[in-house]
Amino acid sequence: MRSLERLTLAHLWTGFVAFAIACLLGVWQMWVRSPLTAPLSTPDRYYQSVTAHGVSMAYLLTTFFVMGFGYYVAETSLARPLPGKRWAWIAYGLGLTGGLIAAIPILLNQATVLYTFYPPLTGSALFYLGLVLVVVASWIWCAQMLVAMAQWKRSHPGQAVPLAMFGTTANAVMWLWTTVGVAVEVLFLILPAAVGLTETIDVGLSRTLFSWTLHAIVYFWLIPAYIAFYTMAPEEAGGRLYSDTMGRLTFVLFLVYSLPVGMHHLFMDPEHSTGFKFLQMTLTVLVAVPTFLTVFTISASMEIAGRLRGGKGLFGWIATLPWERPMVLATGLAFFMLWFGGGGGLINMSFGMNAMVHNTSWVTAHFHLIFGGTVVIMYFAIAYTIWPKLTGWQSPNISLQRLQIWLWAIGMMVMTLPWHYLGLQGQWRRVATFDYSNPLITPWGKWVVVSLIGGVILLISAALFIYNLVAMHRQPARKASSLQRYAQSLHTPASIPASLNGFRLWNVLVLVLMILAYGYPIAQFFLNPAPAAVVHRVD
Amino acid sequence: MATHSDKFGYYIFTGVLALVALAIFLGFLLLPVIQGAQAGLDTWSAICRSLGIQAGSPAQPTPPVQSAAKPVSEVVWNTAVMRGLNAANKELGAQLAQDICTACHGQTGISPDPQYPHLSGQSAFAIYKQLHDYRSGVRQHDLMSPVAKTLTDEQIIALANHYATLTRGTLDRQLEVEADPRIDHLVRTGDTARGIPGCQSCHGIGAGGPVETPTLSGQYRQYLAAQLSNYAAGRRRNDVFSRMRGIASKLSEEEIRLVSGFYAEQ
Amino acid sequence: MPIASERDVIRSELRWGLITAATVGVIFIAILSAAFAWQMNPPSNVEFIDPKTLHLSDEFTEANLGTQVQGDAIAIRMIASQFAFLPRCVVAPRGRPVTLRLASPDVIHGILVTGTNVNTMVVPGYISQVHTTFTKTGDLLMPCHEFCGMGHSQMWATVRVVEPEAFKADAQGKVACAQP
Repeated sequence: MRSLERLTLAHLWTGFVAFAIACLLGVWQMWVRSPLTAPLSTPDRYYQSVTAHGVSMAYLLTTFFVMGFGYYVAETSLARPLPGKRWAWIAYGLGLTGGLIAAIPILLNQATVLYTFYPPLTGSALFYLGLVLVVVASWIWCAQMLVAMAQWKRSHPGQAVPLAMFGTTANAVMWLWTTVGVAVEVLFLILPAAVGLTETIDVGLSRTLFSWTLHAIVYFWLIPAYIAFYTMAPEEAGGRLYSDTMGRLTFVLFLVYSLPVGMHHLFMDPEHSTGFKFLQMTLTVLVAVPTFLTVFTISASMEIAGRLRGGKGLFGWIATLPWERPMVLATGLAFFMLWFGGGGGLINMSFGMNAMVHNTSWVTAHFHLIFGGTVVIMYFAIAYTIWPKLTGWQSPNISLQRLQIWLWAIGMMVMTLPWHYLGLQGQWRRVATFDYSNPLITPWGKWVVVSLIGGVILLISAALFIYNLVAMHRQPARKASSLQRYAQSLHTPASIPASLNGFRLWNVLVLVLMILAYGYPIAQFFLNPAPAAVVHRVD
Repeated sequence: MATHSDKFGYYIFTGVLALVALAIFLGFLLLPVIQGAQAGLDTWSAICRSLGIQAGSPAQPTPPVQSAAKPVSEVVWNTAVMRGLNAANKELGAQLAQDICTACHGQTGISPDPQYPHLSGQSAFAIYKQLHDYRSGVRQHDLMSPVAKTLTDEQIIALANHYATLTRGTLDRQLEVEADPRIDHLVRTGDTARGIPGCQSCHGIGAGGPVETPTLSGQYRQYLAAQLSNYAAGRRRNDVFSRMRGIASKLSEEEIRLVSGFYAEQ
Repeated sequence: MPIASERDVIRSELRWGLITAATVGVIFIAILSAAFAWQMNPPSNVEFIDPKTLHLSDEFTEANLGTQVQGDAIAIRMIASQFAFLPRCVVAPRGRPVTLRLASPDVIHGILVTGTNVNTMVVPGYISQVHTTFTKTGDLLMPCHEFCGMGHSQMWATVRVVEPEAFKADAQGKVACAQP
C-alpha cells in the first residue's frame, strides 16, 4: 500500500472508531432520558457520556475525516504526490495524541463540561490541552492543502484548480478563520482558569468567542459532503456535473457566509444587542443560498445521469438512476433529510422564532438530522467509494452497504422527528432525568421511546458500517482499481473567473464582514468589561 | 479550463456589502426607531440600546428598582479572598485554633461532642464563610457568635486554612459505596418531581457547585440533621439564595434522618 | 429546455438563483414584519450586574424577588442558581404585560416557559430581561434549559398565571403564589 493510502486510512479509521464508540454512548443516553430504567443512570455518568459523545462526534470523527479525505483529494484530484507527507504524519500523531490526552480526564470524570465547554464550569487542563493539539494538527493539514494548491497553480499557470481540490482548500481557509475563536477562548480564558492562574472568568466573552467557531465548524464538517455531491455523485451516477462554476461559487459562498453568523447561537443571550443579532441573522439568511444552489445543480446533474439511462418525462429520470450504487443512494437520502434539517435551520435563524426553539429538543433534533443525517451519510458514501481504492479490495456485497445507508437514514428520521415535535412542546435540553409523573411531561414519554428506537437502528447501522469497512481489508473481496475519477462538467467553460480560482478577494471580504459583525461585539468586552464570574472547577 | 480576470468577484463583493449595509440600516436604525416610538422611548436611546452601549431591551422601558439590600451573607468570593485562602499563615492558624477552638472542636479538629461539628478536613471556603457569617450576625449561635466577633479577616482565613489541611477524610468522595436504597437515589440523583438536586451535585468531588459547599463525609449525624432541620424551619438563613432552605423544607423527617446517617458513615 | 452550452447552464442557474433570492427575501421580510408589527425581538438586555455581589444587591435581595407591581408595570424578578430558582413559584396576571428579570450568581443557566415565547439565557454578569404577556391561565413549567452542573435536571420553577381579578398585590406591591 502506498503511503497516501496508509495516511488516509489511518485518519478515517481513527475518526470512525471514535464515531462508533460515540454511537453506543448516544443510545445509552437516550435510554437514560426515557421513562425506561437504564443501568448506571446517575447525573455524573450521564453528563460524562454526553461530554464524551459530543467530543467524539463533533471534534474527533469530523476532524480526522476531513483531514484524511482532504489528503486523498489533494493527491488524486491534482494528480501529483502530496507535498510534505512527513508533516501529514506528524499532524496525525499530534491529533491522535491530543484525542487520547483529552479522553483521560473525560474518563476520570474530571472534564464533564460537555463539548461546548461553557465556562465558568471548568475541567482539567489536560482536557483542553488535548483538544488544542487536535486543532493544531488540523492547522498543519490546512497548511498542506494551501501548499498543494499553490504548487499546482504555479506549475499550471492560468489554469483552473480541479473543483474537488478547490472545495477542499476553501474548507481549509475557512477552518483557519473558524478556529481563531475557540483557540483564543481556550488559550487565553479557559486554560489560565484550568491551571489556576485566574479565579474568575469573563463568561460573555468566552461564549462570544466560542460562537465564532460554533457555526462555521459545521460548514467545515459539511463541505466534504458537498465535495462528494459535486465531484463524486454525478460520476457514480454515470452523468455529468451540471455546472462546475456553480460548484466553485458554492464553496466561496460557504467560506464567506459561515463565519460572521455565529451570533445566531447567542440570540437568547443578554450580552449582545438586537442590532448585531439582526446583522448576523441577515448573514445567516444568506448562508441558505449556497445550499439552494447546490440542490438545483446536483438535481440537474442527476437528471442528466437519469436521462442518459433512458428516463423520460418530467420525473422519469429519478427512477432510472443507479440507486444500487451507495453514493447515489446516499445522495438521494441526504437531500431528503436536507429538506427537514435545512427547514429547521430556517426557523432557528429567525429573529423571533428562535425563542420558541432555543435550548429545546428541536435544536438537538436539528443538528442530529442535518449533521448526523445529511453530512454523515455522505461520509459513509465517500468511505464506500474510496475504500476500494485505498485497500485495493472491493466489497463483494454492496447490498450490505446499501442496507447500512438505508438503516442510517431511517434511524435518523425515526430518532429526530419526535425530537422536533417534543422541542415544540417545550422539552428542554441536556436533561438526565425527566419527571414523567408531571402531567405536562407524561405524554412526552412515548415519543422519547420512539426516538430511542431510532437510536438503536442507528447503532445497528453504525456497527454494520464498521463491518462493511473491515470487509474491504481482507478476503474474500475482489480486487479493485485504484483510479479515482471525479465528475466531468456538462459544458466545461473555456475559462472561469480568476476570483473563483483563489481566495485572496474572499479573505478580504471575510475580514470586512467579521469586523462589522464581530468587531464591536468582541471589543465591548475590553472597552466596557462585564463583571467576571467565579470559576467552578469540575476536576 | 483556463482562468481569466474579470469583475465577477467584485460584483459579489459589493453585492454582499450592499446587503450588509441594508441590514445595518434596518437593525441599528429603522427597527429600533420604530419600535422605540411604539414603546415611548426617544430615538437616541433606542439606537444606543440596539448597539448595546446602553442597557435595556431595545423597545421597552425597564422596570424601576425600589428596594434595599438585606443580604443573607456578606461573603464575597472575589479574587483577593480566594487567593488569600490559598496562601494563609499556617502558624497563625494552628495557634489560634489551639487558643480558641480546640475546647469544643477537639485537639485535631475531631470534635468530642455531636453538638460541635468536626472541622478537620473541612473545605476552607466553607469554614471561612461560616466564621464570616457568625461575625456579621447573619448566622447566630450562642457560643460561635461572640467568638467570631473577635476575629479579624486575617485570622478567619488562617483558621479556615488550618482546618482544611488537617486530615479526616477528603471532600466527599464520589460515593461508590452501596447505600441504603431509599437514600441512594436521593443522594446521587435527587428527586426531579420535588425539584431536589442530588446531594452529590454540590457536595460531591468535582461537582462544580457553589464555592462555599461544605464536605459532609464523616460529620456527626446529629449535627447534619440539626442543620437540615434549621434550614427547613428557617432558623438558619445564611445559605445564599435559599439553596439549602429550598431543599431541606422539601425533605421528610425520615429522609433527613437517613441522609444524615448516610453521610455520617462515609 | 435544451442545454446546449455553458451559457444555457448559467442562464438556468441564474433563473434558479432568482427563485432562491426571492424565497430568501420572503423569509427575511416575514421576520422583519414580525419585528415591526409585534415588536418581536430576542431578549438583548445588555445590563451588567456582578455575580459575586449579587446577593448584596438592592434589586436582587431575597425580599425583592418574585412578582412586584409598580404602578402600571409588573416586574418578576428571579434568581437562577445551582440548582434552583428563587422563588420557585411566581404569579402573573393573564393579559397584562409583564417583565421578567433574572440573574445568576454562579454559572450559565437559561429558562423557557412552556407554551409561551419566554426564552432567555441567564449569564453571570448580566441581568436578563424578557417582556411578554401571558395569554392562558394555569401553572406553566419554567425549567432551567442550559446545562449548569449535575443538578440541572432537577432545576425548575412554576409560573402561575391567574385571572386579573385574582391577581392582588399586598401593601408593598408584591404578589406571591398562594399555597396550592
